[in-house]
Amino acid sequence: MTATYLAGVGMVRFGKYDASVTLEKLAAGAAAAALTDAGAAKSQIEAVYVGHVFGGPVAGQRIAVEIGLDGLPVSNHENYCASGATALREAWLAIRAGLYDVVLVIGAEKMTDRVKGGVAPDPSDLDAMQGFVMTAGHALSARRYMVDHGATREQIAMVAVKNHRHSQHNPYAHYQREVSLGEVLNARLVADPLGVLDCSPISDGAAAAVVCSARGLERLGIADSRPQVRAIGLVSGTLRTGLYDLNEEDISKRAGEQAFAMAGIDPGDIDLVEMHDCFTIAEIVRMEGLGLIPRGEGALWTASGRTSIGGDLPVNPSGGLLSRGHPVGATGMAQVCELYWQLTGQAGRRQVDEARLGLGYCKGGTVSGTDGASVTTVVVSR
Amino acid sequence: MTATVDVAPAARPLREGLLQFDPPRLLGSRCHVCGTTIFPAREFCPKCRVEGSQSSLPLSPQGSVFSYTVVHQAPGGRPTPYVLAYVDLKDDVRVLAQLEHPADAVSIGMPVSLRLKQVAEDGGMPIIGYVFAADPDAGGAE
Repeated sequence: MTATYLAGVGMVRFGKYDASVTLEKLAAGAAAAALTDAGAAKSQIEAVYVGHVFGGPVAGQRIAVEIGLDGLPVSNHENYCASGATALREAWLAIRAGLYDVVLVIGAEKMTDRVKGGVAPDPSDLDAMQGFVMTAGHALSARRYMVDHGATREQIAMVAVKNHRHSQHNPYAHYQREVSLGEVLNARLVADPLGVLDCSPISDGAAAAVVCSARGLERLGIADSRPQVRAIGLVSGTLRTGLYDLNEEDISKRAGEQAFAMAGIDPGDIDLVEMHDCFTIAEIVRMEGLGLIPRGEGALWTASGRTSIGGDLPVNPSGGLLSRGHPVGATGMAQVCELYWQLTGQAGRRQVDEARLGLGYCKGGTVSGTDGASVTTVVVSR
Repeated sequence: MTATVDVAPAARPLREGLLQFDPPRLLGSRCHVCGTTIFPAREFCPKCRVEGSQSSLPLSPQGSVFSYTVVHQAPGGRPTPYVLAYVDLKDDVRVLAQLEHPADAVSIGMPVSLRLKQVAEDGGMPIIGYVFAADPDAGGAE
């Protein structure tokens, strides 16, 4: 199989943009930055892969036209919050298959003008009919986690404190200021026990990468090394029966095992994780599901600084979804940008020392009766 | 009394096959190969994966709260606050539903029982869904 590399990456700052900054413009900004970073000319791009959720039909083709990449094979990829990483996976598969050598992958979302009050499953979903919203699912998880593992509300809130502390050094983050534990605990309740600072914000944004085979790197005139995409796992949730363990995160376990085996790595060698912390508790249970933190210890690890930059296993040096922001279709590619910058030593004051092996994890959507809809696991090495 | 119903004659369930009106019960299915009970009913068993192994089964209307949250903000104009809970029924089936109970008085393990109620209307026809309410007779936590 052909090895796959990240030739260059780019993103626009996540945040709230007014109506004049369209999805197409956000995506074009990220794409231009990635092309410049890779030193790639538009004429060298062979295909465009676009991940988005709320962009509407053929958003990818609208974006391609905006950039001047009309005429190429363009495909649209929707796996809710794992859409960007799913688009990357399709590009990776095509390069591995030998179909292309230089492709552009974009994750993009314009949310602030079309999503109000949070996101929910499809209205036809049985849970949605009962009033299930994403925050509620994580609140149910958090309450159970505290009871089952003796974790405290404060320990869970520390995920937000940590990730906001990290993102003050990320120029692409929606929020670039610290928040205190008191602010998180006293924030307006969204779904008890989770308050608004336990939730990732509704953001606009886009992130992109030029993805290449070794021959593609050569074609772009890149002589030195570039981070390699070692594996990308993708799984969907399975139906749960009986009185299952709500925080088992079997879906995360399977997605992790798939990617670690494919990449031929020992998960203990992972130096940093860009984790889908759409809610504070989610970072904790997903790290445990992956097997990177022992079951029931994630809250304690967070509160004691073991997942901070400088700790045993830094999680979300970028600030994560909680603080970098969460334009849903863009998030997976923003994680890839951060992994690239960390693995090439370009992360500035949020740099993780000796970063050689990184993992990006996204979880997208819910389906009633299952433990989730989609999980992607992207393994990138220096 | 463990369950109540207040249903107009010409009503239909939220989804076909989801529940019965009299007596008020959620309708699950049980696998005749491995004995697993599920809700909602399916054509196959999610546990042993045998196709066509399912028999329809009215579920116990009683259970206890496994976890809960008070939702204060929801998209789509749904009125808030409301209590959403996972309820563990006595037949070892977990159901997500709203709880009709004061938000500050809900607790894990609280005994609850099923109530059918109108949740919407379609051209004058009541659409019937389900909630749970506190019921000391439903027994405590497992």
